[in-house]
Amino acid sequence: MLKLTRLVAVVAALAALSTAALAERVLRVDEVAVGELDPAKASDYADSMLMFNVYDTLVLPRQGGPGHVPHLAESWEQSGNDYTFKLRSDVKFQSGNSMTAEDVVFSMERMQTIGQGLSFLFVDVESIEALDAHTVRISLSRPYAPFLSSLVRLPIVDKALVMANLGEGEGEMKDWGQAYLSANGGGSGAYMVESHNPQDETVMVKNPGYFLPISDMAPDRVRLRYGLEAATVRTLVAQGEHDITSQWLPPEVKRALVSDGNQILTEGGTGSFYFKLNSQKAPFDDVHCRLAVANAYDYTSGLKLVEIAEGVAEGTPSTGAISVGMFGANPADQTLSRDLDGAKAHLAQCMHDPADFSIEISWIAEVPVEERFALLLQANLAEIGIKSSITKIPWAVFSSNVESAENTPHVSQLFVTAVTGDPDTLLWGQYHSTAAGTWQSAEHLNDSEVDSLLEAGRTATTDEGREEAYAALNQRLQAIAASVYVFDRQTVFVGRPGINVPALSDPEMAFGLDSMGFAFRLIEVE
Amino acid sequence: MKAVLGLLAGRLAISTLVLAGVSVLIFGIARVIPGNPARIALGPNATKEQVAKLAAELHLDEPIWIQYGHFVRDLSRGELGISLYTNRPVTTDIAQFLPATLELVLIAGILMIGIGLPLGMVAAKYRGGFVDNLVRIVSLLGVSAPSFVWAVILMLLFAFYLPLFPIAGRIDTEFAIEHVTGFLLVDSLIAGEFRAFGNAMWHLFLPAFALSLSGIGQAARLTRANMVETYEKPYIEMARSYGFPAWRIARRYAFKPSLIPSLTIIGLDFAAMLGNAFLVEAIFAWPGLSRYGVAVILRKDLNAIVGTVLIISAAFLIANLIVDLLIALLNPRIRYARSAR
Repeated sequence: MLKLTRLVAVVAALAALSTAALAERVLRVDEVAVGELDPAKASDYADSMLMFNVYDTLVLPRQGGPGHVPHLAESWEQSGNDYTFKLRSDVKFQSGNSMTAEDVVFSMERMQTIGQGLSFLFVDVESIEALDAHTVRISLSRPYAPFLSSLVRLPIVDKALVMANLGEGEGEMKDWGQAYLSANGGGSGAYMVESHNPQDETVMVKNPGYFLPISDMAPDRVRLRYGLEAATVRTLVAQGEHDITSQWLPPEVKRALVSDGNQILTEGGTGSFYFKLNSQKAPFDDVHCRLAVANAYDYTSGLKLVEIAEGVAEGTPSTGAISVGMFGANPADQTLSRDLDGAKAHLAQCMHDPADFSIEISWIAEVPVEERFALLLQANLAEIGIKSSITKIPWAVFSSNVESAENTPHVSQLFVTAVTGDPDTLLWGQYHSTAAGTWQSAEHLNDSEVDSLLEAGRTATTDEGREEAYAALNQRLQAIAASVYVFDRQTVFVGRPGINVPALSDPEMAFGLDSMGFAFRLIEVE
Repeated sequence: MKAVLGLLAGRLAISTLVLAGVSVLIFGIARVIPGNPARIALGPNATKEQVAKLAAELHLDEPIWIQYGHFVRDLSRGELGISLYTNRPVTTDIAQFLPATLELVLIAGILMIGIGLPLGMVAAKYRGGFVDNLVRIVSLLGVSAPSFVWAVILMLLFAFYLPLFPIAGRIDTEFAIEHVTGFLLVDSLIAGEFRAFGNAMWHLFLPAFALSLSGIGQAARLTRANMVETYEKPYIEMARSYGFPAWRIARRYAFKPSLIPSLTIIGLDFAAMLGNAFLVEAIFAWPGLSRYGVAVILRKDLNAIVGTVLIISAAFLIANLIVDLLIALLNPRIRYARSAR
């Protein structure tokens, strides 16, 4: 009997220990490799997830609508090209150092000097000055209306920590702490880096000293895994070993996971999927040939290719060149649709005879779903008598070929995202004539009206002015069919039941900025 | 022994020359892969000035022979430059990722030898019978299907339908093992953490088995073929006529001479697994060098490409060297021939 009692006691103790271990709320998510921790180099989705959780920014996008709300900055004033920010005085970095205006100045200078990541957003910053411990003034060299939205990409770094950990390099600032911040956190964010292997995973734990309240339901520990294969994710979720999948899973795998009872999470309003028509190459040097393609494409069938569940696809119907929700976008119900008669009419007006040309439709080798769109477009074009061939191009080759109009395929398929949520970062890089020659600008467009409208969007001083400029730009881009605006991007993730992500499931809580929905402090793990 | 040392010195000298040749070759090839590494690293939004600045920092604006000079100078200091993929020194990446791959390949190699050779012996002993045919089928399945197919099948069977094995990573997060060598099996033993050792072994089994299946098949087929040939030799007949037990004949008289041709192939298989581990590493989320190698090629990360290829080449050479030494030790005719020269 005594032995039995002891056994029961041991089992009970073990059970108690297990319960204690299980009490920790762990969130396991994945993204493509490689996760870059240094916020001055962050550019892609995984980097941004790290950035938005380990660091804070002066402002945040408003949830559920346009505009920005204070975050590290309590308030701000704009006078011409000068912006003055009043900072919160209760913010401490994860190191325990207090956040001051000097840290903001240091972060901007560091970003500009390193010149990588999203530093291009700050090329117009002429000077930055700490007026006192909690006031900072930023002066721009010229009007740049989207500046406030750009600040969501300026993570504030702990200057004292970085200065104590400078690596090898020349000059007083040596490497600006690049080696240190590529392996460690240096911000005030809600999560602290516990371990980081850029090819494997980053483990983060809740920051107990965070300046905003964090729900007890928020994950205590987050494992951000990199480069998991679709089969691995499928199995991990089935085993209960993974909570939210990346966006990169093939639609079939997402469908299978959803049919297993997992939930769909979405993030939209941040960009679009395009067929980019090379305007410098016959037959697309003629606007009518481009319009023929834009009218011949079957938009409805295209969305079916990326459908995950009834009514949910990895895209929403396109209304034009600007994603719904941004300045200048057309109303959501004014969706684009196929017009075969219109396509034939435009083709008849094109100076190139379809009998004399065949167009090359390319797809990026690393994005297999694009092959389906290539086949659909090929079938659609065949219906109006346009011959075409399909070419698979590795990303590295494409990004090199696109530097010259001659080597750029007739049709290139690309997803483009506004890195700040502002249409300027969606459109300028694609359509301004000075930006031609990067993967975003495979159209090699050179249209003075587009250029001047893009510039108007940057310099308009009011929201109304910007709305007007971008609405006109939208009309112009549709009129000249610079691209085929295939669909507005809707990023789809699959989450395990019991994970509550308001920013990815409730439009009123959505941020309208890529990866911001993964602010872990706002996620609840049951 | 003198002959073996002579062989070792000769092979080392040749290996150094081969490595130098490989470095020139891969340095040139990496630079003709299409794509501007600076543009790929900085992304589409970077200005032309930013791209030019990074290109200059990487010496990409200089002639290729000058670039090679920089590479040799850095290499002499034990540096391989910065990876544009991870933004860390390539040596740091290799130091972190190589042990994971080596550990995987070593265990796969042990499985290949530990399962493949006995299977070959059994098949040869029962040649023409049911066991021989069974081994033939198993071997052919192992050889004909690539390791990534086996990886997916094993994952489906032993993780999805029967959740017996973990499928991601090297060890559970509950084990915080201090990295001394980077080999988790060794580090956990150094730390005296036997549960961690077991956990790391548990994580290793499926990927290592998937990786070894092709080698197991090849080793079994080769061993069987060589042993069947040896069984026809007169001295085996003589051993039989003396009434030696069948297993003694198999182990002592038939297996040892049959091992020599198999060893060469096993050595090559062993080294090839380093490069071929990529898909298995990808499927099992194994943070190894093979996966890193493919990722850096896709991103045209020049420094990392050269560093990774050099390490894998060195592994090939070392594996070949070990095989040559083993063959010299096993086969007296090779040793004596060298001594005679």
